Amino acid sequence: MTTITETTVAPTRLSWLTPNLLGVALLLLLGYGLVPWIGSDYLMDAVLTPFLALALAAIGLNVLTGYAGQVSLGSAAFLAVGAYAAYNLNLRLPSLPLLADIVLAGAIAAAVGIVFGLPSLRLRGFYLAVSTLAAQFFVQWALTKFGWFSNDNASGVIDAPVIRIGSLSFTSATGRYVFSLSIVAVATALTARLLASQIGRNFIAVRDHEVAAKVIGVPLLRTKLLAFGISSFLIGVAGVLWAFAYLRTVEPAGFNLDRSFQILFIIIIGGLASLRGAFIGAAFIVVFPLLLSRLGAALLGSVFDSGVLEMSQRIVIGALIIAFLIAEPRGLVALIDRAVAAARRLRSSQS
Amino acid sequence: MFDTQFLIEVLVGGLLSGVMYSLVAIGFVLIYKTSGVLNFAQGAMLLFAALTFVSLVERGTPFALALLATLAIMVALGITIERAVLRPLINQPPITLFMATLGLSYVIEGAAQLLWGTQVHGLEIGVSDIPFDIAGVFISRFDLFAAAVAGSLVALFTLFFRYTRTGLAFRAVADDQFAALAVGLRLPRVWAAVWTAAGIVALVAGLLWGARLGVQFSLSLVVLKALPVLVLGGFDSITGAIVGGLLIGAIEKLAEVYVGPFFGGGIEAWAAYVVALALLLVRPSGLFGQKLVERV
Amino acid sequence: MLLSALTTSLDVLALETWAPGTARQVLDTEPAAAPGAQVSGGPRAVLRLANISLSFGGLTALRDVDLDVAEGEIRAVIGPNGAGKSSLLNVVSGLYRPDQGEVWFGDHAFRQVPTAQLARLGVARTFQNLALFNGLSAFDNVLIGLAHRVHTGFIRQLVGSPAARRIEAENRAAAEEVIGFLHLQEVRDRIAGSLPYGLQKRVELARALVARPKLLLLDEPFAGVTLSGKQELAQHVRGARDRYGTTIVLIEHDIGIVMGLSDHIAVLDYGRKIADGPPAEIKTNQAVIDAYLGVAHEDETELAI
Repeated sequence: MTTITETTVAPTRLSWLTPNLLGVALLLLLGYGLVPWIGSDYLMDAVLTPFLALALAAIGLNVLTGYAGQVSLGSAAFLAVGAYAAYNLNLRLPSLPLLADIVLAGAIAAAVGIVFGLPSLRLRGFYLAVSTLAAQFFVQWALTKFGWFSNDNASGVIDAPVIRIGSLSFTSATGRYVFSLSIVAVATALTARLLASQIGRNFIAVRDHEVAAKVIGVPLLRTKLLAFGISSFLIGVAGVLWAFAYLRTVEPAGFNLDRSFQILFIIIIGGLASLRGAFIGAAFIVVFPLLLSRLGAALLGSVFDSGVLEMSQRIVIGALIIAFLIAEPRGLVALIDRAVAAARRLRSSQS
Repeated sequence: MFDTQFLIEVLVGGLLSGVMYSLVAIGFVLIYKTSGVLNFAQGAMLLFAALTFVSLVERGTPFALALLATLAIMVALGITIERAVLRPLINQPPITLFMATLGLSYVIEGAAQLLWGTQVHGLEIGVSDIPFDIAGVFISRFDLFAAAVAGSLVALFTLFFRYTRTGLAFRAVADDQFAALAVGLRLPRVWAAVWTAAGIVALVAGLLWGARLGVQFSLSLVVLKALPVLVLGGFDSITGAIVGGLLIGAIEKLAEVYVGPFFGGGIEAWAAYVVALALLLVRPSGLFGQKLVERV
Repeated sequence: MLLSALTTSLDVLALETWAPGTARQVLDTEPAAAPGAQVSGGPRAVLRLANISLSFGGLTALRDVDLDVAEGEIRAVIGPNGAGKSSLLNVVSGLYRPDQGEVWFGDHAFRQVPTAQLARLGVARTFQNLALFNGLSAFDNVLIGLAHRVHTGFIRQLVGSPAARRIEAENRAAAEEVIGFLHLQEVRDRIAGSLPYGLQKRVELARALVARPKLLLLDEPFAGVTLSGKQELAQHVRGARDRYGTTIVLIEHDIGIVMGLSDHIAVLDYGRKIADGPPAEIKTNQAVIDAYLGVAHEDETELAI
């Protein structure tokens, strides 16, 4: 993991005024100004909203795994904690505004994350990865077992409330997309800021050389728990989006180990320790099955049913993970950077 | 009133199902010891083996021939994995290797089901599940058979590693990769042998688990049962895998029967993890794992 | 004497080629910058080891080692491979707990040095095998050497409170200063892991120096560095002492380089201290010649392979 680095964004002050910022502004302009007017409901409902929720979850996992170097296989548990916490806050404290519910849900997820992060103080590598599985199984079990969490629904299913802020309600596909976009944009900006501060440097120090970090005076305990807390907070908020803005009806089984792996795969494919990587990876994971099903149907016709689709999807995703780890451990983001650099060189050599 | 006989029955049942966990865990340990890879794909390999065998038998292949064919396929699979996945990743940090095997498990699971379909297959290996009555304690015949198979497998491996050249090389590599390289051992050959061995373990475990649960996708999830076993016993100890398996099996059953009712049941899913974690906090390398001395 | 004169002139040469004009200045300021050495009644010990013993299982790494390091001196600890040098440094930085004995930093005595408090105690160290944070830029690697001074919580860092901004600005200024001092400006924004070995060593030195430690521990700083690189690095080490008044303890098995660089040399052999004195004395010490120089010869042939 130590070799995986973000080459383009070295967090110095000057990098704030680079083309990066311009690019972000342009994307936001597109996201707010263009997509809601010309995008179809299908695009926003089935592609963009889950993309945003998964991207935020991937940013959360990236903080923990990519930056702080602590591998977690239990991300879905924190998605679930966020979703169910927001549901209960909204149900039981109706006077609280929804935004407060979301922040509190994130905080609850952070608290749970810190508890399951405690073993990281003594455990490393695989042992820690295995211990995060405990979070995965425990949370899923608790949400199914105790009816209180789902307001006594027999199978733990919850129906999301309408997203309403003040007098604005976000019920349409467009509304839910815009709501998700806003939350993700704010959360990403705050995360970027945090990663550029001393805390972000501490994360990387703990990841790259724990002993040296300790000698220098980086507080290992606080840094690791902070990584777990911030990561779980972001994943928890992503869980709220997943449940409230995307699916609208969720059950504990939806937050299973496969979901955790999916988020891990997003950051491996997109690029570890990179915020852009989280978005690129999430886009890939959302769009890829759609492309594969079109392609499969076109090539093989009726043989390519949903079972075959699911299996071939597994094979391709798994193979991609291996291929990326072997050929480009820095993920899609590095490939894109390299392509851009090559294009620039080509242009400059022509002119 | 406390029922001692019932306690013993639960305990023995737990220990015997623990043997099944050990069997899966041994596959992990073999690979971890020699190459430092925690092979998450062990469960997928197990599924692949069981599914291949069952499908061959269902298509009319005689039992022995199907067994041989599956064995050959597993050996080929093991060698292919070593070539295509692990060799290019040599010298990478262990966690990268782990993630690669995670990807691998997706590939193998997908391929197995694409090849043989997703329906559930029954697997009959000719051992009935009628319980024995030993001094008033009922013990499953199948569990005993499984324990015997696991036991002989372990004995076989022990003999192999003690008395063959490849076994000696294996131990040398497990002990010190660099030293082994220095004296001219060819690591890839040892690794290929180890992955082959892991494939054989996957086949045996797959058949036993398949006979117990039916051969289906969820079979690959036994990997999740094996992980706390490994944590408890230490990733690099075969003894640890066996003892850990027995302990987890016993603890799981005892917890389910005696603690479970307080939580409304279903705690099997995580009880093992909590126990393993609690132990880890005291002994960060498990019961039998090698203590890591940090060199700076 | 001849040797030291030779290395000094070599150093000047090296510095002149590296940064013209600065060599004279460094040499001029040398006496004034080591104030502790001038105090009458003997300098105070910045580091003192009392009776340190350490063993791993049955293997003895250190046996009754005493060491007194005065303020402002450069002290080398040399010895053949396996003599216990690294163990000694790891005891001083708290990574190992000695079986017996105490480590003193000024007036503070420790049975086991609390590693997490090391920076606050004014002690910094480098590592034999580079221990840079490969994912950070060279500048951020240096900046993080001041991690122990950042005591603002994450909320304040997130919103950028006045205190957080002030600390960040101070730390950046300090890092810039050291970057300038060690001539790392040109690579300051490069990712540390991508730098050539010699520069990485220098970044690590900068990271250790940025907090202006009272005591700097260097673990085989010259290992794997080219001959010209060694001279340059030696000059930086001496410059660090002269500029910041830092007391330096370095361990090394290349006896040549430390002769010209250090004020005192302690020699370890099989975990025992067999000699301790000025370079000239060490060079003629029969026990050292027997125990070390013969072995050093073998080391050279080892290196040649």
